[in-house]
Amino acid sequence: MYVIVIGCGKIGYHLTRALLASGNEVVVIERDARRAESAIEEFGSIVVASDGTEPTVLSEAGAKRCDVLISTTGADATNLVACQVGKWSFDIAQVIAVVTDPDHVPLFKTLGVDVAVSTTELILSHMEEELTGGGVVHLLPLHGATATVVSVRVPPGSPAIGQELSALATPPGATLAVVIGKDGQPRTISNGLRLEAGDEVLAITPPEQEDELWRALTGGA
Amino acid sequence: MAANILIVGCGRLGAMVATALVDRGDSVTIIDTDAENFRRLAEQPGLSMIVADGTSNEDLRRAGVESVDVFISLTAQDTVNALAAQAAQLTFGVSKVVCRINDPVRREMYEGLGLRTVSPSQVMTDLVLEAVER
Repeated sequence: MYVIVIGCGKIGYHLTRALLASGNEVVVIERDARRAESAIEEFGSIVVASDGTEPTVLSEAGAKRCDVLISTTGADATNLVACQVGKWSFDIAQVIAVVTDPDHVPLFKTLGVDVAVSTTELILSHMEEELTGGGVVHLLPLHGATATVVSVRVPPGSPAIGQELSALATPPGATLAVVIGKDGQPRTISNGLRLEAGDEVLAITPPEQEDELWRALTGGA
Repeated sequence: MAANILIVGCGRLGAMVATALVDRGDSVTIIDTDAENFRRLAEQPGLSMIVADGTSNEDLRRAGVESVDVFISLTAQDTVNALAAQAAQLTFGVSKVVCRINDPVRREMYEGLGLRTVSPSQVMTDLVLEAVER
């Protein structure tokens, strides 16, 4: 894939390294001269010292043939505009923004950003999982669909344990995708599958049915 | 009829627009992240100045975005203006939103996306050309 990364701060730097290591073609655009210089030392000529929200800069970076644009700066405004220019002026298939203020996530999605990653929300959802051992963890919003891939862990004592999946009162809009056992082994969904304590259930569900799904798998509370 | 107006950015342009609107009888709130910038304005009835960030929904709410008739984003940064204006339009449903965008390509894009934009550099270019031709 050809990926344009905007911003070579901590996130942009490690992302660029990882993308290169997995064989992608990457250009990274960094506006700050000093940061760009140290990025050039590490990555060489794939670093462009300029403003990634400027259409002319994106054009020179080859935005027309780019598959994915990822804007990783610490400024939501910059990430939004970079993504919008990428999407609407260069027709980039997938534009991804890092979002600092979680309040902005719905707006970014309305405005054409395919994936809006809120670091704050990510950390919070992991904390919730670790601290309470429960709750619905959001793994991935599905583009073009009003559903999200979520994960629910079956706690010890849940009434769902030992039941056949077909007997559980899961909401009609939710599709169970796979069950991952405590040993990390995935088990295919079938009507006769019985849940065990500690199983992680991955499902695709509309947001309004999350609570119902969670109650069906954990017994509520 | 007097309108309730929120302006983001108290640079030279923001301050002049605010003054002109207050003189016209409108009720204006102007916000800027730097209190220093309010030196450009004199305290007067019908004008409030609030230190707030136009790219923060919380700050916009604090500045009263939910009850304004007109939202104008005039900072020197296209990116800040674009985020603030689109939040006003879509998150808060302000009916009239005006946004300063300097870059011509970005301006065309935002016009296409339904934002009302103004470009000082475009206006200046037109005026200069007109003066040259006269």
